[in-house]
Amino acid sequence: MPAEEKKEVKGTTISRRQFFKQAGAVSAAVAAAAASSVIAPEEAEARTTFAEFFQNNYRLMTDEEKKEAIARLEQRHSEEYGKKVTVDGSPAMKDVLFGYALNIQKCIGCRRCVYACVKENNQSRHDTEIQWIRVIRMEKGNFTVDDMDKGYPNSPNESFGIQVGGNAYKNAGVALEGQHYYQPERVPEKDAFYFPVQCMQCEKPPCVKVCPVRTTYRDPDGIVVIDYNWCIGCRMCMGACPYWARRFNWGDPNLPAEEMNPKTHYLGNRPRMRGVVEKCTFCLQRTRKGRYPACVEVCPVGARKFGNLLDPESEVRKILDRKKVFRLKADMNTYPKFFYFID
Amino acid sequence: MKIKKITKVTFGALVAGTVIFGIGHFQTQAQQEQPAQQAAATATVTECFESREGYTARSRVENVVPEYGYPNIKCSQTTGGVLWWGDPYDDTIPMGDMPDIDDITKGDYLTEDAVIKPREPQLNYFNMDPDKHCVMCHDGKAVPFPKDKKPRMITMHQDIVEDSMELMHGEGAIWCLDCHNATNRNTLIDHRGKEISFNQPQKLCGKCHGVEYRHWRMGIHGKRIGSWIAGGKKRWWVCTECHNPHTVQTNRFQPLKPEPAPALPKGMKNADHESVHAPSAAGHGEATPAAMH
Repeated sequence: MPAEEKKEVKGTTISRRQFFKQAGAVSAAVAAAAASSVIAPEEAEARTTFAEFFQNNYRLMTDEEKKEAIARLEQRHSEEYGKKVTVDGSPAMKDVLFGYALNIQKCIGCRRCVYACVKENNQSRHDTEIQWIRVIRMEKGNFTVDDMDKGYPNSPNESFGIQVGGNAYKNAGVALEGQHYYQPERVPEKDAFYFPVQCMQCEKPPCVKVCPVRTTYRDPDGIVVIDYNWCIGCRMCMGACPYWARRFNWGDPNLPAEEMNPKTHYLGNRPRMRGVVEKCTFCLQRTRKGRYPACVEVCPVGARKFGNLLDPESEVRKILDRKKVFRLKADMNTYPKFFYFID
Repeated sequence: MKIKKITKVTFGALVAGTVIFGIGHFQTQAQQEQPAQQAAATATVTECFESREGYTARSRVENVVPEYGYPNIKCSQTTGGVLWWGDPYDDTIPMGDMPDIDDITKGDYLTEDAVIKPREPQLNYFNMDPDKHCVMCHDGKAVPFPKDKKPRMITMHQDIVEDSMELMHGEGAIWCLDCHNATNRNTLIDHRGKEISFNQPQKLCGKCHGVEYRHWRMGIHGKRIGSWIAGGKKRWWVCTECHNPHTVQTNRFQPLKPEPAPALPKGMKNADHESVHAPSAAGHGEATPAAMH
């Protein structure tokens, strides 16, 4: 650790000089691009890190500042991963409100969506393995007439009144706890259904309410985004989220260069650093360009549906019109835009 | 009948031979297992299936999207399924005409740039004739077929139709020639005798499964990849890319091997705590002492 800190300090002194040298340039982006062939990678990294310290909250930046920040990142990541990395800064599309629908009757629990997401969104692969989607295996309950008015099974002489469909030990409907680490030979299993959980992109997101530095906010297309540079890593949002959607980078992310997805977005899947929170963004680097999210495309049973909630012709709206729909923990008053449905 | 005539001695010799062969085979397998496992750990899977195992196969092609150096697909190294799409329209053709269904989505799909992965190129099982394929024999003349539709067990072609003996569709009332064309085996046939291409099985399936067909046309049943925008270019999955029409009543979707479970939290040895309520641990949520603590 001391060695690292020393290096960091040394790096900042060099970069300060570089930074002031370039201060007079009309565009820092142009200067950075021109200098990239001369400066050694670690030096370049140190300089951009230093410049990032003076960066504002992404929402408060001018367009010029956004451009500079993106150019800095593109240069740093391209050097770091040895390929051309693009960082997109495109804003929300007009007249679009993203919505998601998932058919829990169709989901087979194969977890392909989990790994498609990891491949797309540059999560840390191991040692703090980060996955934005968690598929929970739920036990199928029995709803039998015999159990309708049973109390606690160990006290047959006492009545605890009618508990619809089950009792404290023999539950009906769903299991008391889901299984996260199920690993059967084949899925789906006969006695289970599967329940994928990810960020619900709430209309009233509790994570946004609690963020002390306002680095996480709701974009006009409904996506709750994070400016990773402005995040202080207090993890208040993780505590506030009722869906366990947010993940924390406890260490430096382990992202192999050959697996790194070079098409990134500033608010989405650009590589994160130690000590910041991240979460699902409905793949906004894709969806803001018109493409389905990675989890939708990979689902082998077509259980995942995605579209524009403001467009009556979109898949999601047609599902809301025709299917039986519910939202997870609707009583939390978060108004998720992630709908679960059954046929 | 001939089996009965085989003497006990011959039978015994046969059994012994099988056992010896079996043991020898097992030993060689055990010897090879170790290096094979090591090879599997390093070798990368580049051939993978899309939805239905053994039906839609796809191989990885590098640098299909040069801008980002994307391959067309990325395969799962553990289960051999497609995990990520670089180019959603790779190896596809236009879906072709679709009959209008009288609902509020009318017109939606007509403006859509709908593509599918064609099935017809895979009909050349034996390569006996590059153009005729199945019709080489099954033209309605060369190979006779029974006039009545009473289902019967077939012994031919289990190599190409592996599940032919497990046929279960329409609760046993439907058999091969209700869907496969007797006089032109390269096509399917509907109940009114109209020929239907293997590329468009939805035209046949939709004749009975109307609700699913409508929902599929609206995009709320089945799988589509590409552009989420209504009217944008999409690749559609047709019925048989997910469902096996021969055994669809046994399994609507053929079970798959799941991808690996997430890493356990630090310090946790196993996930046994999760199975407290599972049927395997304590009966189906029964109040046994083990389940109650």
